[in-house]
Amino acid sequence: MDSARVMFLLMFIVFFPILMAPVIFYACRYSVRIRDSLAVVTSGITFLATLTLYPAVSGGEVYHYSLFEVLPNLAISMRIDILSFCLASLASLVWFLCAIYSVDYMAKEHACSRYYTVFIFTLGSCLGIFFAGDLFTLFVFFELMSLIAYLLVVHEETEEAMKAGYKYLVMTIIGGLALFFGIIIVFELGGTVSLAAGHIIGESSVLALLAFICFLIGFGMKAGMFPLHVWLPDAHPVAPSPASALLSGIMLKTGAYGLMRVIFHVFSPELIKGAGWDLILGILAVITIMLGSAVALTQEDIKRRLAYSSISQLGYVLLGLSILNSNAITGATFHIFSHAFMKSVLFLAAGSIIWKTGRRKIADLKGIGRQMPVTLGCFSLAAIAMIGIPPLNGFLSKWTLALGALDAGMPIYVLVLLISSLLNALYYLPIIIPGFFEAPPGEEQEEDDHHHEIKFDIQEATPKMLIPVIILALCTVFFGLTPNNIAYALSQLTSAFLLGGGTL
Amino acid sequence: MALSDHFPALIVALLLFSAFLTPPVYRWTPRFSAPLTTFCLSAAFLMAILLTAEVSRSGPLLYHMGGWPPPYGIELKVDPLRSYALLVILGVSLWIFVYALKDLSHELRIYVIGWYYTLFAILVASMAAIALTNDLFNLFVLMEICTIAACGIISIKEDRECLEASFKYLILSAMGTGCYLLGVAMLYMATGYLNFDLLNGALTEAFSLYPRNIFTAAALFIVAFGTKSALFPLHVWLPDAHASAPSPSSAMLSGLVIKVFAIALFLIFYQVFPREILNAVPLTEIVLWLAAAGVMFGSIYAMLQADLKMMLAYSSIGQIGFIFLGLGLDQELAITGGLYHVMVHAITKAMLFMSAGVIIYTTGVRKIKDLAGIGRALPITMLAFTVGSASMIGLPGTGGLISKWYLALGALEAGRPLFVLVILASSLLNAVYYMPIIISAFMHQGEFEYKVRPVPNMMKIPLIIGALAVIITGLLSRPVIVMLQEAVASML
Repeated sequence: MDSARVMFLLMFIVFFPILMAPVIFYACRYSVRIRDSLAVVTSGITFLATLTLYPAVSGGEVYHYSLFEVLPNLAISMRIDILSFCLASLASLVWFLCAIYSVDYMAKEHACSRYYTVFIFTLGSCLGIFFAGDLFTLFVFFELMSLIAYLLVVHEETEEAMKAGYKYLVMTIIGGLALFFGIIIVFELGGTVSLAAGHIIGESSVLALLAFICFLIGFGMKAGMFPLHVWLPDAHPVAPSPASALLSGIMLKTGAYGLMRVIFHVFSPELIKGAGWDLILGILAVITIMLGSAVALTQEDIKRRLAYSSISQLGYVLLGLSILNSNAITGATFHIFSHAFMKSVLFLAAGSIIWKTGRRKIADLKGIGRQMPVTLGCFSLAAIAMIGIPPLNGFLSKWTLALGALDAGMPIYVLVLLISSLLNALYYLPIIIPGFFEAPPGEEQEEDDHHHEIKFDIQEATPKMLIPVIILALCTVFFGLTPNNIAYALSQLTSAFLLGGGTL
Repeated sequence: MALSDHFPALIVALLLFSAFLTPPVYRWTPRFSAPLTTFCLSAAFLMAILLTAEVSRSGPLLYHMGGWPPPYGIELKVDPLRSYALLVILGVSLWIFVYALKDLSHELRIYVIGWYYTLFAILVASMAAIALTNDLFNLFVLMEICTIAACGIISIKEDRECLEASFKYLILSAMGTGCYLLGVAMLYMATGYLNFDLLNGALTEAFSLYPRNIFTAAALFIVAFGTKSALFPLHVWLPDAHASAPSPSSAMLSGLVIKVFAIALFLIFYQVFPREILNAVPLTEIVLWLAAAGVMFGSIYAMLQADLKMMLAYSSIGQIGFIFLGLGLDQELAITGGLYHVMVHAITKAMLFMSAGVIIYTTGVRKIKDLAGIGRALPITMLAFTVGSASMIGLPGTGGLISKWYLALGALEAGRPLFVLVILASSLLNAVYYMPIIISAFMHQGEFEYKVRPVPNMMKIPLIIGALAVIITGLLSRPVIVMLQEAVASML
């Protein structure tokens, strides 16, 4: 592809949603339907436009453009490589499906015009993060997305939501300041923050370590890394379900993406390993995995349980990044895909259940499978994928990560993965099994009858809510059946690309 | 000589002319006085733009008042740094004046408005002259004019608090000016000159003869300008004065008046004192620690305030600390950041005071806790307030980030990462006290409790311009930064 076209597409993908946000805000004055369909169409077009970039990056090419200089040696720039493409296509797909889901889900909610405006605006800024050509641009879009997403978190405006939102906001500011410090140190040491420069910091020093820690705080906060995860289990569940799906499925990944850029472009894998900083990340990742899974066990609220599960799943990605070899990076990248599909299914399915029945407590979900078999079926599929049972994508990412851990001679990490899978089983199965096999709360007496027939009283959510869930659930199967799928191939390409120093 | 050669003097003269013409015009026909002052301010701003272009084309410009060369006459100087200060002063005061036109009729009694225009023009003239003058004694005179005019625009409201606050300000300022005069006398005693450039040449030799006098003079200057620009712990007069004044006055005082003295200290430190004197005693080190303390305490005090304007006033103390942090770090990038913050904070804080003014004008509410839900009643005002707060916190896309970027870079370059932490901690504190206001304004359950008058366009438009300016300073900062960096590099 010629570079002018790639440039145009990049600008279009990032700024089209941002520019459409005010249009959507004003559209609601005329009609609710126009507003809703505009949101769906905008995210759909963005997704298609992202897909058209595939031929540009599949061969490992990198396109880099400087738009204008904000300060001397500090430009706003755009860039695309295989990693950006992976995350951007994933993000815009999930966004598109969540937009479709929102149409019916949000019909019951208040302040929808604000919701859709913010929803589309965050899409643009999230893609801006993935297409940023230097750390400064990345920082600008990162802060933009995080701050605007505050409105998604507090959407319901309950006291609980406001409290969670305030926590989120303060943590976001702290993370932003840490990033700012990190970027300043990189600029001071290397004279540039462009991702095109390759390894900006070549040798380890106190300042370089400080920068690494700052990035770890800034991006790790977003990714829910221990001990900076405290905002996450409050903020994700209080948002409306499609927004929770995006927060957990996609926006968390921006933190992991940032760390990848820092490890491979600001520092270099050799430097990180040589200085022993991979151990910091590794230990934090192990704690994150264990803690997330363990606390998820104790949660009563289904969305809170899912949120804690997100913490532990992002730990897998961080673990892959700390191992830093070919299989581990493939596994980490593929797990970004896997987790995005699995967690969006889980949140959207949970959202459908809450929307239909108003039940959020796990204890109340007995027999829900008789009322909403398809929704709970999809939920089960994603939950089983989370546990890591073979033909599903969760297995493939864990398998690859485990291979990476063994390659690096760290069998302990494999053990961590196994224990965490066991814990996943322990907290997901008690949702699924009673959901299908126990009677709903009101009908317990009939169970004593030996000649009972299981009664299905099917009341599924509307098709607009069901279809995105089904598509995403099929993705967990499709991208897990064999390793010969597009997501896995892209992850392998990414891994080769990053470890090869920016070439294939 | 062409007319354009007289621009440095004409700027000041035109403003003074308008100051003296306004009261009779106001008595004769009140309609003409506002356009007259607006015209003079715009003309002065235009001249400043032309001067800046001239300076960037052909280098620094010297102007001898009345054709008398120094050491006998007063010399005005226009170099890149001074023209930057001039542009900020005139641009921001023109902008505030447009806002003031509507606000004043609400806050002041009708017959003093003509006098307010006079005081405003005198204040702007004296600030412009402070930026231009190249003579220590002339600077003293202008500082006095500036202080008295500033007291005037506070006490013109004629209520108890304003009179008390302006009296406090007057006394402390007089102390500052006294220190300054003493310092000038010591330098004059040691060298026999008052002109900046001549002093600069003579001080190196005088330093070996009278080192103590010169150190004392430098220390006195820090106290004098520290008092005038509210450097911690000499800030005690500021909160009352800035909070009780009419909103346009608060915008002027917090936005410009305190910065002018900071710039004057910059000029004296880097254009009068030779490098070896600055290196011989840790003068900048003192400023650095005071500034850092100011940055922290200003933010902490601001958190404790219940009154919106009081909070903004305390926040100014923290922000002036940033400007002095640049001077204190004594490093090219940090000074650039500090000087850039002069403009950023002038625009941001003036806009914040304007939005506070709009809130008071339309609803009469001053307490922070009463602002809950006001975002629905005054969306544009609160959006402007949000943009201003973002700049105060230093979020990307606003001017606040750029100045913090340079200050932090300078601190790292000087090998003092501790001060980066000070900057970050203060940003966090700013977030902690600005954010809840915005959240409760927009996300409050239920209706706003007070009656709301419509916002006049004359107040709305300056706010929108201000919000845009904050964003422009954050995105298109490159030309100004490059100019400042060159100016600072030539001074060091």
